[in-house]
Amino acid sequence: MRRLTLSLTAWLVVLFGFTWVTPSASLQQKSGDSISAKGGVGDITGQYEIPDPGWPQWAHPYPKPGYIWGSQGGVFAESPNRIYLANRGELKLPANVPNNFPGNWGFFNQMAATQPIANMVNCIVVVDGNGKLIEAWNQWDKLFEWGRGPHQVYISPYDPERHVWVVDDMRHVIYRFTHDGKTLVQTIGVLDEFGENDDLTRFRRPTMIDWLPDGTFFVADGYGNTRVVKFDKTGKPLLKWGTRGTGPGQFNTPHGIAVGGSPARVFVSDRGNRRIQVFDVNGKFLDEWPGIAPHSMLMSADEHVWAVDSITDRIVKFDLSGHVEYSFGQFGTRPGYTWAMHQISADADGNLYLSEVFGGRTQKYRPRPGADPSKLVWGRSLMPMAGTTSN
Amino acid sequence: MMMKRVVLLLVALTVVLPATVRAQAKPDFSGTWRLAASNPPNYPGSAGWGVPSPTIIVKQSPAEITVQSGQYGSAGQMTVVYKLDGSDTIWEAPSVTQSGSTAVVRWRTKARWDGNKLILFTWNTALNQLRDILSLSGGALTIVRGTEQPGPSTNATLTYSKGS
Repeated sequence: MRRLTLSLTAWLVVLFGFTWVTPSASLQQKSGDSISAKGGVGDITGQYEIPDPGWPQWAHPYPKPGYIWGSQGGVFAESPNRIYLANRGELKLPANVPNNFPGNWGFFNQMAATQPIANMVNCIVVVDGNGKLIEAWNQWDKLFEWGRGPHQVYISPYDPERHVWVVDDMRHVIYRFTHDGKTLVQTIGVLDEFGENDDLTRFRRPTMIDWLPDGTFFVADGYGNTRVVKFDKTGKPLLKWGTRGTGPGQFNTPHGIAVGGSPARVFVSDRGNRRIQVFDVNGKFLDEWPGIAPHSMLMSADEHVWAVDSITDRIVKFDLSGHVEYSFGQFGTRPGYTWAMHQISADADGNLYLSEVFGGRTQKYRPRPGADPSKLVWGRSLMPMAGTTSN
Repeated sequence: MMMKRVVLLLVALTVVLPATVRAQAKPDFSGTWRLAASNPPNYPGSAGWGVPSPTIIVKQSPAEITVQSGQYGSAGQMTVVYKLDGSDTIWEAPSVTQSGSTAVVRWRTKARWDGNKLILFTWNTALNQLRDILSLSGGALTIVRGTEQPGPSTNATLTYSKGS
């Protein structure tokens, strides 16, 4: 009965948002037309300003003449002034591009940005808070040539060296780079070889990672397999759990993972089964939260699970018991709307970043003046880098 | 004394070397093979990719193995080369892209032995992946197939019997 109530509550909130407590957002198109959210759809940008379509600056003008930034697999804000963007290559623009083209693939309202064959360049870049390019890791573009580009990008909150982790689902590996991107430190999995569910040395299209404070990490694996794999801090596999199915502990496309709470729990987006499942750190099933199919999840600094729903294009805040506390967002291609949010990240200033795989852009959402802090996404603090006091 | 040692060494080499060569001999998958069974039955591949070909023609030399088959998607019948030294073979040919159109894309193949099993990998930049594990038993060729695309993954076991 409790689960039924939770499920109904989740669906109502996800579908209709908090229109009864929050006025509908009024979005501004580039042309200046006002678009009001109507029909009970709810709050589109939540407590955030409408994103500036000119962010990141680096993508405007486009990375290469005649091409545009393609599907955006991931974004990770290390700090308000260092944001990693994972780009699945560049796409050739149509022959006729209208003058009001704002720069995002979704503007064309045709196929998703994942569908055309991409030119695998500028796959990992770093921008500052203004969206200005700081680093382009073009030396690693070749890693993505035979796949579809980086799936997502992370830094463990507990790593004083701040290694950068990049998941490549189509090539079945996870890369760990030094913080400056100069060295590929480790490759987990076997490049271009997929393994079955009981194979601890090979993934089958892994999707996402999260960590425990001691460096132990968990991988959602993934599109091909139906399991979670637990590794020690060196990358040695410890155990796995999950089979294909719909029951407790079974998965259909585990696509997101978040770790947190006390005692620590592992929250897994079981996307194909439209639910989040909750486990202890050894894979014991604890609970399920039905009614949502997240592409990605984030454990926030205030210990909530923020999930980006692949069905409703809403951003949903859960407490660690599975109660929905807030949601906002709507499908679309104008600024502030989203088309397939694939990774969610936030910095310590309350700025929210959402990458879109189908829309082909990453948007930065700045908090509105007077925003309710409880309705903002707060990124976890990262351990200061060894030898520095910075965050 | 020295002479005795040389004779002993020659005798040992005469006995041991052929045995080693025999142990290292790999199966020869050459032949024309007809599909006899698939598990799951009527396995469809994935979006036209990896569909079991009713007939495949395999030619094998110490350096490479070639597979003529219709299992490579929209390209129809293709003859694909896999080098047996573990190196890549790369070329361009048509394939159906994720948008549903056909385009000329880059292809890559690689092969690796796992004991007496031969693992054949095929990739192309239209995001199609095929992994076939070949083995021989009782005159039958078994192919354990896995496909990957942005869509669902698939697995199947295909059994081929010799025939023309």
